[in-house]
Amino acid sequence: MKDKIFRDILPNVSKPARYTGSEVNIICKDWDKCRTKMAFAFPDVYEVGMSHVGSKILYGLVNEKSDHLLERVYAPWPDMEKEMRSHEIPLFTLESFKAVNEFDVVGFTLQYELAITNVLNMLDMSDIPLWSKDRNEQYPLIIAGGPVVFNPEPYADFFDVFIVGDGEEVLLEFLDCCWENRHLKRQEQLLKLALLEGVYVPSLYSVYYNENGTFNKMIPLYESVPDTIKKRVVADLDDAYFPDKPVLPYMSIVHDRAVLEVMRGCQRGCRFCHAGVVYRPVRERSIKTLKKQASEQLASTGYDEIGLTSLSTLDYSGVDSLVKDLVKEYREQGTGVSLPSLRVDAFSIELANEVQKVRKTTLTLAPEAGTQRMRDIINKNVTEEQLLAAVKAAFQSGWLSIKLYFMDGLPGETEEDLEGILELLKKIRTMGDENARKKVEIRASIASFVPKAHTPFQWHAQNTIEELEEKRRVLSRNRMKRIKMSFHDSRTSYLEGVFSRGDRRLSSSIYLAWQKGSKFDGWSEYFNFSRWMEAFRESDIKPDFYTSRLRPYDEVLPWEFIDTGVSKAYLQDENEKAATGITTGDCRWDGCTGCGICPAFAIDLDIKEEFGG
Amino acid sequence: MRLRAEYRVESNLKFLGNLDMMNLMTRALRRAAIPFALSEGFNPHVKLSMGTVLPVGVWGKKEYFDLELIQEMHPGDFIEKMNRVLPLGMEIQQCIKLDDKQDALMKIINAASYTFVLKPSDYDYSALPDRLMSQDKLLVKSRGKQKGIDKDLRPGIFKITVNYYEQSVMIGIWVNVGEPINVRYDELLDLLKDQGVKHEEVLDIFRSENFMRAGNVFYSPFEKVR
Ligand code: SF4
Repeated sequence: MKDKIFRDILPNVSKPARYTGSEVNIICKDWDKCRTKMAFAFPDVYEVGMSHVGSKILYGLVNEKSDHLLERVYAPWPDMEKEMRSHEIPLFTLESFKAVNEFDVVGFTLQYELAITNVLNMLDMSDIPLWSKDRNEQYPLIIAGGPVVFNPEPYADFFDVFIVGDGEEVLLEFLDCCWENRHLKRQEQLLKLALLEGVYVPSLYSVYYNENGTFNKMIPLYESVPDTIKKRVVADLDDAYFPDKPVLPYMSIVHDRAVLEVMRGCQRGCRFCHAGVVYRPVRERSIKTLKKQASEQLASTGYDEIGLTSLSTLDYSGVDSLVKDLVKEYREQGTGVSLPSLRVDAFSIELANEVQKVRKTTLTLAPEAGTQRMRDIINKNVTEEQLLAAVKAAFQSGWLSIKLYFMDGLPGETEEDLEGILELLKKIRTMGDENARKKVEIRASIASFVPKAHTPFQWHAQNTIEELEEKRRVLSRNRMKRIKMSFHDSRTSYLEGVFSRGDRRLSSSIYLAWQKGSKFDGWSEYFNFSRWMEAFRESDIKPDFYTSRLRPYDEVLPWEFIDTGVSKAYLQDENEKAATGITTGDCRWDGCTGCGICPAFAIDLDIKEEFGG
Repeated sequence: MRLRAEYRVESNLKFLGNLDMMNLMTRALRRAAIPFALSEGFNPHVKLSMGTVLPVGVWGKKEYFDLELIQEMHPGDFIEKMNRVLPLGMEIQQCIKLDDKQDALMKIINAASYTFVLKPSDYDYSALPDRLMSQDKLLVKSRGKQKGIDKDLRPGIFKITVNYYEQSVMIGIWVNVGEPINVRYDELLDLLKDQGVKHEEVLDIFRSENFMRAGNVFYSPFEKVR
């Protein structure tokens, strides 16, 4: 198969290096000597999937630390798909070039709601039935993990198993269990797997709805099957596996650098933030571990950049000395350090300057809202003074362009809040004119708020597409010199909203949308909204039911059985505080704010260093 | 100190673009801890200059790069260290010291040879060289800068050879690179197709050598240096 692909197919497709494999640090294990064989499927194109840190962790973990095997496969770009289908080449992995349906397990990571159409397309390209009920033990187990599966219900009918929480904590256990029960019938295998903590087998439950269409309850079909699924949590990141030899791509990928995951989780408590809840509590890595990982990764890859990643890297207790030490140590070799979105304060800018010594990076800040009132509602604990002080420091130290992230469509938003965004942008520009040596460029990216499951805002109605379009008109009515605004597609946000708080009934719509040709829905050139609306219509689904309704507190939510550890009382309380503009502290600095997660897992915030910034 | 290296790119790496090749090489230099020189200023880069771009879809038997070092290093040492870290399908075959006066590769390489490996068939390949070389003009549609317009390859073709093997026929074509006429491998392929060679019969294509041509003599980028 490999020869045929190289000779007949790759010369005819764009970016063939996506499909050639044989990268530096690839791990090709002996198929016959391995136990459970798993294909790790990323439902997006190679350069996106290869940038994903979680995938790198699981790849190294399974292949280095167990007798199981894990091989990679990414969504073929449509030109490649066409060639493969016309040559009858099934979806294959990059290590062994074996067809995906020869594996025991196919694991998808769902990073984004709309990636589901790519999942279906990849299953179809593998000759694997799309519906879980149509697959017996002759087919691979189809599983999924990632942030999206904290509300797995819209996808429940396609997957045999979901894995909830930190994947490295459970995957080996899971693959062991697959191996031990490989001779059993599918149903029996599933019953065994359902006993593992963090493992959810959707077919083992029946779901009931109320007459008004709302969710009623979910009942396990067997006594051994748990009512709730508790997310898995790595207690100490210093002990957790992290790859020293990540696969090094030949082609440029989105995040083309060595990565250090300095911590997991975030303690800031922004009320719209899904990741902030589901990855809580904060667990850090020590500087010692991180420095060792940096040196190993650089030695094994030859990268000239180290990226520090996490939800809020500038909050990492050791960030100051880690950054300074890394810069000092690798500067000679021309190797730089990069920081993701910065915290909005002067300290962050100072650190960014440190990094800037070696390599220019873009300066990115996320004030999220334009008025103090709105920032209090969402619990973004940043004042205008802090923001302006930060940009002033940045302009004074030579930055000439700044990127800012905002959101519109937030709960309780008024015209003033939108005007506030414009005012703020102008103030920042003035700050630039007064402090920078040249004219400054400001880029603002405006995303639409999508209420997410497990957050304090999970009960809220989402703005309609019309409302969002109107807000966009307000925001972009006057051209502002040297301020560029870009907006997320409101129709994409709408669909994300449908799925992020959807239930099992959506599966038929997803199937129809895929059948009509939906794939790569995260890519504007392929996204087709009307196809989705047709699919909803034909499957008798009113998508507004999921987005436009203000849900009462006593409504049972379809994702409640997924236990993130956060207490419902806390979420409700946060939502009430938002309504009155009361902020909540940050549990790293201000003490525990009672979200309930630490006690639920009998762990604690894990802060590794004395903060020196 | 400067080094010039000759390397081989196997078929499994033939789909890499030019930037990919650069990255592959600089990352290998870093992994091998070669004392390379860096440019000054922001975004420092390794002082590495690759010869003419190896086209995507073609593998290369003898490709070249020049590298500047900040420390003396024995070429043999360089070969050994690099080959330990290079991926499967890429290998340094030779390396020599350059003195400062030597021109950069980009400046000196002005010719290359491509080999087309064909499936033996009824086609009489042996008549091909004379037939082509005796024409005044060999027109194809340009695949280079002025895409689609007629391009005469004839002045850019120096020599054509045909060799028969048990399983294959190899056609070697020596062509000009860069100014005044840059002959591309895909244009040569079009030319062969115009001559009746079928697409299915083309088993493989590779660049066999890069040259500094002086009149009728084809020197390797190593020869004049020695
Ligand atoms: S339980 Fe307290 S300390 Fe732990 S994450 Fe929640 S708020 Fe922070």
